[in-house]
Amino acid sequence: MQYMLLIYEPEDAYADEAGQTALTDIVQKHMALAGELREKGQMLAGDGLQGIETATTIVTSGGQQTVHDGPFAETREQLGGYYLIDVAHLDEALAVARRVPVIDGGKVEVRPVMTY
Amino acid sequence: MQANGKAIAAARPRVVAALAARLRDLDLAEDAFADAAAAALSVWPQQAPRDPAAWLWKAAFRRALDARRRAAVRQRAVLDAPEPEPTPEEALLAADEPIPDERLKLIFVCCHPAIALDARAALTLKVVCGLSTERLARAFLVAEPAMLQRITRAKRKIAGAGVPFEVPQPSAWPERMEAVLATLEIAYAQAYEDAALAGDAAGFAPEVLRLSGLLAELVPDDPEVLGLAALVRFAEARRPARLDDLGAMVPPHEQDMALWRRDLMAEGAALMARAARIGRSGPRQILAAIHGAHLSRRETGETPWADIAGLYDVLLAVRPTPVTAVNRAVAVGEAFGAERGLAALGEVDAERLQSWLPWHAARAGLAEKAGLRVEAVEALEAALNLGPPPAERLFLERRLRALAH
Repeated sequence: MQYMLLIYEPEDAYADEAGQTALTDIVQKHMALAGELREKGQMLAGDGLQGIETATTIVTSGGQQTVHDGPFAETREQLGGYYLIDVAHLDEALAVARRVPVIDGGKVEVRPVMTY
Repeated sequence: MQANGKAIAAARPRVVAALAARLRDLDLAEDAFADAAAAALSVWPQQAPRDPAAWLWKAAFRRALDARRRAAVRQRAVLDAPEPEPTPEEALLAADEPIPDERLKLIFVCCHPAIALDARAALTLKVVCGLSTERLARAFLVAEPAMLQRITRAKRKIAGAGVPFEVPQPSAWPERMEAVLATLEIAYAQAYEDAALAGDAAGFAPEVLRLSGLLAELVPDDPEVLGLAALVRFAEARRPARLDDLGAMVPPHEQDMALWRRDLMAEGAALMARAARIGRSGPRQILAAIHGAHLSRRETGETPWADIAGLYDVLLAVRPTPVTAVNRAVAVGEAFGAERGLAALGEVDAERLQSWLPWHAARAGLAEKAGLRVEAVEALEAALNLGPPPAERLFLERRLRALAH
């Protein structure tokens, strides 16, 4: 089954000096995890996203489309990256999700991908 | 007729688990079992099966495959000549094949931590024990549509999210087993409370009794699993004594010991002895020991309140909840006097307990013991204002009347 692991972290988590130090460590762990998943043939895709200050949102409403600056919702936690993996079942996906490095307060949502 | 019903209920966990494992579809497994059970009730009185579980397994599996084939045909809209529908008699004659034991896997699926906690207990009782949605709704105090939605959502999650039909890896075992134990404990707490008001007819305590015993059989080396099975047995042993002739609740230390079930007491004691040999304590074993201490009155003639208070001290360390603290205060009051009990109760965070009946009952009991009549009356009235079930209401009203004189 394919699962998408969506990484949500507090947007300001990496802003200060401690955050910058943590970032180096977290990026290294991402590289290691992605490498391992690739080796096992479980990694389909995965990327980090640039910050919400770079986000642009298109809203469709009443047949009209408008372009907005910013993310779709102003929440404390923002989508910061994702993994798309192929594993046998939810327990394996959860085991990978547990190993996705996040800063304190971070969340990883596990969503099965629809199959047609 | 009733014997057949019992045989069907006893076979259910094993057969539904085997069906679910083979079909990877809880709904189909449940439906096929229900069909087979209905057929059994009409066929068995004429022709009793040698092995009811094997009969049900074969009949249900054939029915499930047939249902799947028909669904596939409908989807393709192709009108193949249908195979003749297999009868249960044919199923009976089919080659002997042992039913695979997938019961533990089914319990792990229903109690998966990815399923909402409030849905797990209901789903387990529904799928493993076959309780109806209507009965579950009554037991869990929710409307039937809400219960149906809870169960439907849980099943959809299992199917959609890819919850595996597997016993978890050793590394995940502690967390997963904790989820199973928590689920059964919730189910039992519900059944225990239910019993006082509904007598033996409406509660599902017998199912939880069976389920906890089944788990102890499947996982014989986990002391907390044994502890839970013992806890349920000790508590159920007192069930016949929990209501008096007028239907009022009777607290454990005042119950007629002649009514306690010795068979369950013995089973519980044996489970506790096995757990003790493994030598790893936990909250269910401590709770079982507390229930066991109440039952020891049968041998000694006295409730060992000091021991019970000591056990609550230990429990409070591993499970520091207001519920534990209130129960501990009651035991302290009985063992060392009302003043110390009230002092212990004073340490409890009362804010969250205002709508919890045992909190007011404990306050009333300790205040009465300490000779604080006004406080006792106030606490009893607060308890009655919560609209308790009949057994508790009768008990509280009686105490209120006694205080008035």
